[in-house]
Amino acid sequence: MIKYSFQDKKKFMDKLKDVYESGLSPKKVRVILPHPDHDVEHLVEEYLPKSKLKYFTLVGALAGCILGFGFTAFTVLDWPLITGGKPLLSWPTFVVIAFELTILLGAIVSFGGFLFLAKMPDFQGILTPEDHGNEYVIQIESEDKK
Amino acid sequence: MSSESTDTLDAKNRHESYAIDYKDQIERDILIAMKKPTPLFWIGLGISLLFVFWGAVSWATQIRDGLGVAHINNPVGWGAYITDFVFWVGIAHSGTLISAVLYLFRAKFRSRFNRSAEAMTIFAVMTAGLFPLIHLGRVWFFYWLFPYPNQRYLWVNFRSPLIWDVFAVSTYFTVSAIFWYVGMIPDLAIVRRFKTGVLRKLFDALSLGWTGTFKQWQHYNQLYKFLAAFATPLVISVHSVVSWDFAMSVIPGWHTTIFAPYFVAGAIFSGTAMVITLVVPMRKMFRLEKYISIDDFDKLAKILLFTSMIVGYAYIVEYTLAFWSGNVFEAAQFIYRSIGDYAFFYWLMITCNVFIPLTLFINKLRRNITYLFILSLFVNIGMWFERFNIIVMSLAHDYDPYNWGFYIPSWVEIGITLGSFGWFFTFFLIFAKTLPIISMTELKEEVE
Repeated sequence: MIKYSFQDKKKFMDKLKDVYESGLSPKKVRVILPHPDHDVEHLVEEYLPKSKLKYFTLVGALAGCILGFGFTAFTVLDWPLITGGKPLLSWPTFVVIAFELTILLGAIVSFGGFLFLAKMPDFQGILTPEDHGNEYVIQIESEDKK
Repeated sequence: MSSESTDTLDAKNRHESYAIDYKDQIERDILIAMKKPTPLFWIGLGISLLFVFWGAVSWATQIRDGLGVAHINNPVGWGAYITDFVFWVGIAHSGTLISAVLYLFRAKFRSRFNRSAEAMTIFAVMTAGLFPLIHLGRVWFFYWLFPYPNQRYLWVNFRSPLIWDVFAVSTYFTVSAIFWYVGMIPDLAIVRRFKTGVLRKLFDALSLGWTGTFKQWQHYNQLYKFLAAFATPLVISVHSVVSWDFAMSVIPGWHTTIFAPYFVAGAIFSGTAMVITLVVPMRKMFRLEKYISIDDFDKLAKILLFTSMIVGYAYIVEYTLAFWSGNVFEAAQFIYRSIGDYAFFYWLMITCNVFIPLTLFINKLRRNITYLFILSLFVNIGMWFERFNIIVMSLAHDYDPYNWGFYIPSWVEIGITLGSFGWFFTFFLIFAKTLPIISMTELKEEVE
């Protein structure tokens, strides 16, 4: 494992660009940042795919919406009880429940997706935390692992 | 370092070594708040717990003796408890405004307030959530609120705004809690570095093994953006739903289309006031003047002024609608509000929510922290009475003079109300001592 540590963002980005342009597989390069950074994000995403979290969000939100309308409709048909002279399937009133569940499941599934994609909780990381302080770090897996 | 300690965050063009030193400095400054509590902290916590105890005794009395110990009865069946519920849900809203809406608008000053405002949101929703239960005659059957298969083959009534409320408030709590926790994960990883022993293990676990790899940040940023995008419409829906608890009925003063936007604006107004109430002493106590500047408070004061004017406009519209509609019951209700039994509270509300905030047009007052703190207390009082006036006055004075009545809260209701403030402040004080009160990661991001 080769490791480069930088305190300066510019030097770090120059080195990172060099590493990527050296022809090394981008998957072998591990980048560690002290905080999110858009410049670094733009640079790395030229070589690595973007986050697929949005698919989790979409599935969660759609599931919540379908559940919201489906469940409310099911309950009124399961026990048909007229209240307030309103139709059993009062869709406008079910919109509120469907809206809330869209957001609820969208958020929960997104969070689950984040944990899955970011490989968290990382039990190895919990037992022996890896901490680089406020440094920008580039780690390159050794070539013999190719 | 010492010579740099008075610098502000506008450090973009500074030397690289300064940036790294400044990032270390941010960590040290913010984490000072997590050091051993001072006697002042213990006094604050002790007073809060005393109120919690008072509230608990009051509620225990009500559970033992029944709802009769509260003065809610015919015609005022909703009194202090529902007032408290709406008040606390409203307080919660500003947290989401600051953390989610201002994030989407890229307002930088949010990073000074978002962590404590989000904490405030969660504790306020936890407080609000107690009141529908306190209001129940038989609290041990609270789970009847949720739809679950049961031997009675009955489902909850999804056409009822009260059930919408159950879904809205529980969704709000869950999403706010996720948003808060996710935003804190990188900071928890910083905190673990400074801890030893059991606390170190605890923060190791809470930070879920966060390393700060690009992949983690990439997914983290996406998630944060999505959560902000979810929380923004959610915050509007929640207080709209709360307002429909009233507006869907036919009571004069409640049955009006303006209620949803009126309630949402009021919620943000009261929440912003509570953020000021909480952050002013917190800033002083933990010496955060370097990070939370007068300019930042100035921006909060502008939000307060803006929402105060929306609320003031809504008060005028309410009157206009009542008289313009030609509905005698509506008109009578609004005459009653301004000159009836509760007129004092009505004018107290107008003074606190409309007139006093107008002083924020004066630049000097917006930048005077002590003034802002005192003003925020007035707004808190005014907004509590706004809900009290809407709820109690409409019920006390509806269509039929035979049905009119007068309500003042009993000692149990007052005890539970004050207890709710103790409950809220207890959680906030514990938060201020155990978790990072400002997002260190976001402050560091601004340095670059």
